Amino acid sequence: MADAALAPSAATARTPSPLRKALRSPATVVGLALVALHLFLALFAPLIAPYSISAIVAEGLTPPSAAHWLGSDQIGRDYLSRLMSGGRVALLVSGLGVAVAVALGAALGLVAGYAGGWLDDAVMRVTDALMAIPEIVLIAILVLTFGKDLAALSIIVAVVYTPGVVRVVRARTISLAALDYVLAAELRGETRAHVLFREIAPNLSGLLAVELAIRVSSAVLKISALSFLGLGVSQPTPDWGLMVQEAMSVVFTDPWFLILPAAALSSLIIGVNFAVDGLARAYGVSATEA
Amino acid sequence: MRHEAPRTRAHVETAGLTVTYRDGLGGERAAVRAVDLALARGATLGVVGESGSGKSTLARCLLGHLRPGARVSGGHVRVGDVAPFDLDSRALRAFRGARAAMVPQNPLSSLTPHMTVGAQLGELLRRHARLRGRAARARALELMAETDLPDPASLHDRYPHELSGGQRQRIVIAAALAARPELIVLDEPTTALDKTVESHVLDLVARLQAELSATLVYVSHDLNVVARMCSRIMVMRDGAVVEEGDAAALLRRPRTGYAEALIAAMPRLAPERAPSPATPAGPPVVSARGLRFTHRSPAGLFGRGAVGRPALDGVDFDLARGETLGVVGESGSGKSTLAALVCGALTGGAGSLRLDGRPLAGLARSRPADQRRRIQMIFQDPLASLNPSQTVVDIVARPARLYFGATAAQARAEAARLLAALDVPAETMNRGPRHLSGGQQQRVAIARALAARPDVLLCDEITSALDATVQAQAIALLRRIQSEHGLAILFISHDLALVASIAHRLLVLEGGVARDHGPTRETLLTPGSAYTARLIAAFRRNATAMPSSAVLADENRTKKMLSSGH
Repeated sequence: MADAALAPSAATARTPSPLRKALRSPATVVGLALVALHLFLALFAPLIAPYSISAIVAEGLTPPSAAHWLGSDQIGRDYLSRLMSGGRVALLVSGLGVAVAVALGAALGLVAGYAGGWLDDAVMRVTDALMAIPEIVLIAILVLTFGKDLAALSIIVAVVYTPGVVRVVRARTISLAALDYVLAAELRGETRAHVLFREIAPNLSGLLAVELAIRVSSAVLKISALSFLGLGVSQPTPDWGLMVQEAMSVVFTDPWFLILPAAALSSLIIGVNFAVDGLARAYGVSATEA
Repeated sequence: MRHEAPRTRAHVETAGLTVTYRDGLGGERAAVRAVDLALARGATLGVVGESGSGKSTLARCLLGHLRPGARVSGGHVRVGDVAPFDLDSRALRAFRGARAAMVPQNPLSSLTPHMTVGAQLGELLRRHARLRGRAARARALELMAETDLPDPASLHDRYPHELSGGQRQRIVIAAALAARPELIVLDEPTTALDKTVESHVLDLVARLQAELSATLVYVSHDLNVVARMCSRIMVMRDGAVVEEGDAAALLRRPRTGYAEALIAAMPRLAPERAPSPATPAGPPVVSARGLRFTHRSPAGLFGRGAVGRPALDGVDFDLARGETLGVVGESGSGKSTLAALVCGALTGGAGSLRLDGRPLAGLARSRPADQRRRIQMIFQDPLASLNPSQTVVDIVARPARLYFGATAAQARAEAARLLAALDVPAETMNRGPRHLSGGQQQRVAIARALAARPDVLLCDEITSALDATVQAQAIALLRRIQSEHGLAILFISHDLALVASIAHRLLVLEGGVARDHGPTRETLLTPGSAYTARLIAAFRRNATAMPSSAVLADENRTKKMLSSGH
């Protein structure tokens, strides 16, 4: 009797996988679908688009037709084909830049948070200094310094996003380092590298995944803003920010030239945010400090 | 003693009360299942059960409160002539302040940090007693005096963080009683308090309950406390009532195996049952002489940090193989500092600390690997001490790889053997520690310590996060390990009754100073200091509520329960 009474109840109950749990929420499904669509287009748009992005195939500003579903732009290029490719450069540059930012930021944040002392002070003061400069001013200065080819833009994204990642990772490292399993490893006499990369770092993976996704979507927005200002992607490469800027001259006669690229950009940002929210909740990662 | 007078309607009543909550998988789980309850005005009911038994959910229902995601899916609640769940939010607020009051577990989180305690009492008095200005202040001071707070006039204008834990809990009690409620619900109100403080708070609650002739519902996992406070006891498990009845009768003759197991698992202060000193004590493995440690506040911009009162002030002890030294003290007594110095988590202590006659360096990092291996620590919170990103078997395998250069396969095989020996189910080995129960987690932590083949085991409050029955199993496990491996154990706890049941010798600390040091039985029977006597008295006062027959019978029950458990 007593043994049955004392058996741990439901401690080892089977739970469904987090992914399955996440897919129960419609917002998450919509988000994942949008992200998948944008990734697919970014990879394969040139192969499936009806026309080349630079070929002049019609008169300027023709209305939608069977041959050109969204009509043509000011100089007669197929608008649908350009819209499909409009996120490629921004996504590529953001993806590369943020990947570097997350890798570098994670390494610096881990070391600063765990070592503390002068090393922490040094890393954090440089980060603070970078974060004190308004982003758009920092970007403008960097563009004027490094130019605006793909590599330069990627480096700029990396420079702008690293400080934020350093802060988030450092804060999480400090709270993780205070846990008893880290103390247990230190008391066992594990090396600092083991403590950092075997005990602490694996517990940052969820946080880093959230950081990566959220910051890529924010970087895409920033690159588009740069292109709009003429500091980012330049003709003839199609880019949503640039397309919005081109649409400014015809905004009262042909407003869809403004609405379509803006909607494409928004759908990517919204998609990433929905997907990250849903996945982070299902996997139990807090996205609040991101 | 009967509380329900015939033909009189009960004061507090639930009938078929069922509360369910969404479990995040689209399904619903019952937290409270068809609970019937009837209490006469002025009755005292203790609700006991382990974590997850639904006792807190039931208690909150009496105030018409549900956690988010929960709903009443059957039955009803009535307090006097009020059904709390039928009230709109305004009426419910009025009901909660004026007629029913709750004293929660953590007094700090139920007080607003940016308001003085006087202002918070004033707010309640304004709302429920329509008192303002000078009248409100006078009444607040009166309430504070009623709860035995020293110097109410000066405490009135302080902030919650400036008060001690016991003082805060008294303020919360004063607030609960501000409007003279007819129902007082207490949810583990003394769990966060030291034993001597707990004792005072319990006396206070009993006195005020009698004065107001309020109906009292006291939720706790601690049968000793409930036995002292309540005339009726209700035992809950998995949301259902297992057993309910007169407190004395239930404790003396529990009708169900579950209640019996709960009673048997309660640590009770019984000097005659304390382990006798390990016979051939031999030379000490660990010996400390004049151990001193002072926390230094962080250095400011100018100059070095201020030096306060020492956390540990000249403590001596010896610990021999096969022996358990129990270190007892209340919060701030220096017992955790002692553990941190021995295991090498703190540096800067003075005095001598030796392992087998050889001096131990301050930080673990600066000790030889062999010394680190021979002293292993088990922590208070088992979940926090196990890395969630690693599997159970990898956690336990690590020391063998680190200390003995075992291959991955050897280390895992050794880990599996250890886990099996400690009754951790084989199917949990490749899971993360989060998927285990609290008791299993602590077994994994013990297995990891044993994997280093230590000579000394440091146990710092290792059972305080566990339910009573699981706690009893953990203690039995430690005893078994000690007899199998001849380990020296330093067992640290605030719970004197628990320490006395396992330690051969006792070290009583107060404010960093050793007040008593000697064989457990003698120390309990003839304490050498007024402080120890007071500590013993605080535990005795609870224990006297327990019938002696239960005390005599429970050793056998514990044995039976533990052997049939595996």
